[in-house]
Amino acid sequence: MKYLYEKDLRQMKYNILTSTRHDMVVRQIARRLGIGEQKMRMILIRTFDMSLLENLEARYEMGLLHADTDDPVARKLGCELFTDFIPLVAPEAMQSIYEDVRTHIASGTQENSAIDEGLARIREVIR
Amino acid sequence: MKKNVDVSIPLGPVHPCWKEPVRLKCETSGERVLRTEVELGYMKKGIERIMRGRPWQEVMFLAERVCGICSVVHNMVFIEAMEGISGIAVPPRAAYLRVIVNELDRVASHILANFSYCYTIEHETLGMYLLNVRETVLDNLERITGSRINTAYMIPGGVRFDLTEADKAALLADLVKVEADMHRYVRMFETGPLIALRSKGIGIMSRERAIEAHAVGPTARASGLPESDLRLCHPTYQKLGFTPISRTEGDNFARIMIRFQEVFQSIDLIRKCVDRLGEGDSIRGGGFCGAGEITYRGEAPRGELTYYIKSDEYGRILDIAIRTPSIMNIEACAHYMITDATSVADVTSTFISSDPCIACNER
Repeated sequence: MKYLYEKDLRQMKYNILTSTRHDMVVRQIARRLGIGEQKMRMILIRTFDMSLLENLEARYEMGLLHADTDDPVARKLGCELFTDFIPLVAPEAMQSIYEDVRTHIASGTQENSAIDEGLARIREVIR
Repeated sequence: MKKNVDVSIPLGPVHPCWKEPVRLKCETSGERVLRTEVELGYMKKGIERIMRGRPWQEVMFLAERVCGICSVVHNMVFIEAMEGISGIAVPPRAAYLRVIVNELDRVASHILANFSYCYTIEHETLGMYLLNVRETVLDNLERITGSRINTAYMIPGGVRFDLTEADKAALLADLVKVEADMHRYVRMFETGPLIALRSKGIGIMSRERAIEAHAVGPTARASGLPESDLRLCHPTYQKLGFTPISRTEGDNFARIMIRFQEVFQSIDLIRKCVDRLGEGDSIRGGGFCGAGEITYRGEAPRGELTYYIKSDEYGRILDIAIRTPSIMNIEACAHYMITDATSVADVTSTFISSDPCIACNER
């Protein structure tokens, strides 16, 4: 049901994401996940409310500092970054992706290609 | 027969407990809050856009209009950022005067935040007592700077006005009165059984969650993050031997108590500054604002305030981005403190306990 008092917030959310610092962060996340910038903005607008979009820059900054500091594979995948700090992926889905990447690495696949495969699955999940 | 019903409860944009318009959309199952969304956009100023292309002399006045409650720290952080770009030194007397005014502003802001909380939990008597004390603090701000709110006291290389001996004596006398009154009101808050019912164990945010959302200021320090206080990195505060206050409970009570404790800490800092004012006579060092780029952080009453500034050789602001503490605290509050609240009645008090400033958030 569409209520009269429910506003379309997409334009305001877009304005938040295109401010100087937020724009830099959105571009960095898009590059890291291998998604187009405009597509990334659309995903963020669809997924998050206005306060989380405003806080995106601070959360990303904290994620780079504190997320997955002791596991390089998890860090490259952004396991904690994209579940706890920027909650784009459900923790269960991320855990399954991480375990599959680990299994691939253990079975002899090169680390970079296993991580690329993991990132491709993350893209599928958030699209 | 009692039945749990899933409903979406909108709070605001106009609400008796909100100081500014904001809309919280709470999805509930019975009394339990499952999810909260924040809807902003009711008071967007676009102040960053207005600042771009203007000389620093105009932007310093605009900066303190970002927030009507903690305007002094916006002035301070902007001016210190411009000084950082241009390598301008501040005389010791001016540095201490800046701290005095900044701490008076912090006291006024903390008292207002706690007034709002008391008002929200229906303890209006204590709320009004607190507002009365705040008037004395604002009178002192006016005595020193000529204005209660938008003081424009700090300028590159110093401050506008000196503190006369008569004003110094009046300030110290008022601080004694404020301190005595606040001791009484804090005791009322700490020992009130109804206050404890509405505050203790309500709206808990863990240390890990505070880190995730980059919660700042008293909100973070109530969740056991003393290192979040940026006064630790400020040279004048370092000279004063500043040590941050923190608690570990992470609930509404801890957030309010941190602010009360910080009021006493600020009073001590002001007294120390007044003692050290004799270290120099000059209040203006002079200098020119030039070209450069800087990201400068300062500790506002609500927490970390960041200014990213890019200026040209005439001191014109080419680009500016302001990250106010309320951005982080409101988000942390909506997504961690309010979510899983066992009663819808606790939503407003928990929201107010994080001292949300919507004007700051929307810039």
